[in-house]
Amino acid sequence: MLVLENLSCGYGPFRAVQSLNLKLEEGSVNALIGANGAGKSSTLMSIAGHVKIQEGKVFYKNNELNQIAVHNRIRLGIALVPEGRRLFPDLSVEENLKIGAYHKSKQRYSTNIERVFELFPRLKDRIEQLAGSLSGGEQQMLAIGRALMAEPSLLLIDELSLGLMPKIIDQCYEVIQELKKQGMTLLIVEQNTKKALEVSEQVLILESGRKVWEGKAEDAKNNPEIFEAYLGLSS
Amino acid sequence: MLFLDLLIQGLLQGSIYGLIAVGLTLVYGLLRILHVAHAGLFTLGGYICVIVTNQTSSFLLAVLTSMILVGLAGMIIYRICYQPILDQPPFVPLIASIGLFIAMEELFRIFFGAYGLSFTELPLQEPLALMQINLKQAEWITIASSVGFVAMLAFLANRTKLGLAWKATVTDPEIASSFGVNIIQVRYLNFFIGSSLAAVSGCMMAVLNNLVEPTMGSVPSYKMLAIIVLGGLGNVRGTLIAAVLLGIIESYGTIYLDDLLDRDSIAFVFLIIALMIRPQGLFQRH
Repeated sequence: MLVLENLSCGYGPFRAVQSLNLKLEEGSVNALIGANGAGKSSTLMSIAGHVKIQEGKVFYKNNELNQIAVHNRIRLGIALVPEGRRLFPDLSVEENLKIGAYHKSKQRYSTNIERVFELFPRLKDRIEQLAGSLSGGEQQMLAIGRALMAEPSLLLIDELSLGLMPKIIDQCYEVIQELKKQGMTLLIVEQNTKKALEVSEQVLILESGRKVWEGKAEDAKNNPEIFEAYLGLSS
Repeated sequence: MLFLDLLIQGLLQGSIYGLIAVGLTLVYGLLRILHVAHAGLFTLGGYICVIVTNQTSSFLLAVLTSMILVGLAGMIIYRICYQPILDQPPFVPLIASIGLFIAMEELFRIFFGAYGLSFTELPLQEPLALMQINLKQAEWITIASSVGFVAMLAFLANRTKLGLAWKATVTDPEIASSFGVNIIQVRYLNFFIGSSLAAVSGCMMAVLNNLVEPTMGSVPSYKMLAIIVLGGLGNVRGTLIAAVLLGIIESYGTIYLDDLLDRDSIAFVFLIIALMIRPQGLFQRH
């Protein structure tokens, strides 16, 4: 479904990721983990189109993404939950959700917003409120909700748990489990290794822009030495 | 009655300032560029209006032609002058814009002569009394069209998908494009709309003064910069209020401070004092 072939990407002359190969199966949940600056977010943002692909290719559903303008990638089904939420703070909750369904018809918008409210009932109560006035947890819910409004087949999630209270993190991951049940393909970038392993099937560990380990999440969980070796911490 | 007359004159002047400054604040909001050459587009709008009216005797046709042509000129300026240098620090597009403005003034001089143009038959001069206020048709039309265009702009921004895309692009172009907003289109449209509004105010200025000249944009260019700062850079509502306020203060000042200062000096003294007291502008960008 999503294939990275020998991907190198970065900013200007700087290479954040070196020759990365990766294949995501349809409906799989994948975690990209690694220390700060390992190139996790750059990988994600190059798929979304915001970090320059310097070498190699990225394919999604057999489309080469480099040939597809950033604003058209969502039409292929790729949606982003960016690091730090990056909501439109001066716009209301409803307007933020409308942006999520920007390329959808009015009818699809109504259906999708009901789905989002089922997952996050709290957003319904806050619909008129400005996104910037929400709590951190509500903002993260809105960021996920905004992406779901686009009916994605591939959801890219960057640092889901960053800066959130443990209770909220749990709530967000419950929603991830729900999306997994619905068969959505997920690529999750996380520093919270434990949470990422709980939900994912495939795990990829990056270090200084290179892939250092790839395998099943179960194997990673059963071999804590992997994490000690690559991340300097125990799972 | 003098009090009311002066208020109306102030509103008239303020609506012309408002229409110019809104375009400028739209560009600033979206691209963080101080688009000084906007005043050149205002002048171009005035010239097109006079020329087309003199050729066709239709003022309405002249205004529409002016809006479309100046709108396109704004898009071309964005494409040629700003788009290639968007990554540069803000003073680079600012200098490019000042250069462009000077070049435009010179081009007007070369093509249309240094002394300016007038209408062969000045349109809309009949007096018209509404609610006991006596103004020329042209003056009523100036006020009405400003209110009308601002209302249209508000509708566009708050009630349409395009307005939503525009607001999202202002806040975070990267994420807006991730959700399917074609930000290049939004930018072109922004320049088209802003420039068309400058054209309208150029047309109104032309018909109120019966004169367009190469330098008619210089004083408005200083004033519009001060107005958008006063309005809280990028804040459309604040810009409009600041523009009307400036128009009214100028209007009263020309009567009550006439012995001391002329019209433009009054405007700048007010702007300097206002900015000294509130350097962040009267209205915060929110």
